[in-house]
Amino acid sequence: MSEDHQSNFDFMDRYDHRVSHLGGQAEQYVHSDPESCLFKLRLMVEMMARRLVELQAPRLADLDLIAILRSLEQYGMLPKKQADGMHAIRRDGNAAVHGSETPVPTAMRRLRDAHRISAWYCSMIQRGVKVRPSQFVPPPGPAQADADALKMHQAAEALEDQIDTRRRATREGLLLFTEDEDLPTEVQRLVSELEGLDRVAQAAGEPLVDAEFVAVVMAMEMEQLLEHPTLGLDTREAKREAEKQYQQIKDGFELREAMYAEERRALVLYHQRERQSRHKQG
Amino acid sequence: MLWFVAARAMAVADGTVPAVKEASAGLYAQAILGLSEEACRAAKSPEQIGKLTLVDCLAGVHGMPREQAEKIMTGVLMIAFADGCMEPLEVRWASMLASACEMTDEDFQRCCASARVIASMFNPSVPSIEDGGEAS
Repeated sequence: MSEDHQSNFDFMDRYDHRVSHLGGQAEQYVHSDPESCLFKLRLMVEMMARRLVELQAPRLADLDLIAILRSLEQYGMLPKKQADGMHAIRRDGNAAVHGSETPVPTAMRRLRDAHRISAWYCSMIQRGVKVRPSQFVPPPGPAQADADALKMHQAAEALEDQIDTRRRATREGLLLFTEDEDLPTEVQRLVSELEGLDRVAQAAGEPLVDAEFVAVVMAMEMEQLLEHPTLGLDTREAKREAEKQYQQIKDGFELREAMYAEERRALVLYHQRERQSRHKQG
Repeated sequence: MLWFVAARAMAVADGTVPAVKEASAGLYAQAILGLSEEACRAAKSPEQIGKLTLVDCLAGVHGMPREQAEKIMTGVLMIAFADGCMEPLEVRWASMLASACEMTDEDFQRCCASARVIASMFNPSVPSIEDGGEAS
């Protein structure tokens, strides 16, 4: 892209100049040096991820990019669509840094991803401000691309489409909910049903495998899990945490049982009074 | 399909859908239950899953062969363990499911131990936001 040409990333200059500048540089390299384009985009994603994590959880900022992205994803700070794009740039950027040859269409696709992510990123760092970037305009290529290069670009483009389709299919297969579902409504429906089952158990008596026994067994396993190297608590901390969780569950059950007993007592009293009043009238 | 209903109920029992639970549920379906990617996608279509309630799910697992029902129970417990935190409605759902499968206490303990082992394998070493990475 020539110097006087507007960049697709100009819109974000007022929100984050350094990231906007990297986006502009990536555009300039997309045709002449796609590996450098990906390198710049990878850096751009890293800067965005670090800025986001600094705003949300500053003490995680020392982690590497993949750990930051996973943390943001796991705690619901990075929507799936943006996470997909950021991971794709990270992955292709790493490959480029390690010497993998990058076709221009791949770099162009990641540039488009970066543009889409940028608008979301700006609204995040500006705490909900509506950012409306102009439509992505692919940076123009050399005036005379030879036939072989065009053919190669088309083949790479088709391959990228296949990879995208494959990735989407894998994601749809793995996730519990589909993207078309109204998630809050579905969550609410399931939680209401669970609460209903809980009330039935309170009123009709615990089922065969009672909840208190389940809580004890789960707490014992939870203690061992918390000691596992991936979660890294020491033995005493794990024990304390598991006991705390168990106690909260037990207190909850006791509270609900007390409330149910109170409701029953009130009902019995009401019927007694009604009987007495009928007796007096009679 | 019963797997997805049971798994969804456990995953959302605390009122949210953490990504870590979603991902481990999908991996479990394919790696342990042996469902194909296509079968997983089809099971989640609104026409299929939208009509099923949790009571239908309990009735479904009740009629299942023992081995299959235990695999579902183990997977559901693994989801409960995935975020290292247990909630009252998670415990309730585990109790309901285990009862519907007519499990003995020993069966349930065995499923719970297997679930913990699988959860520790699936669980990536991501530190919590609250403790700011000290647990990594």
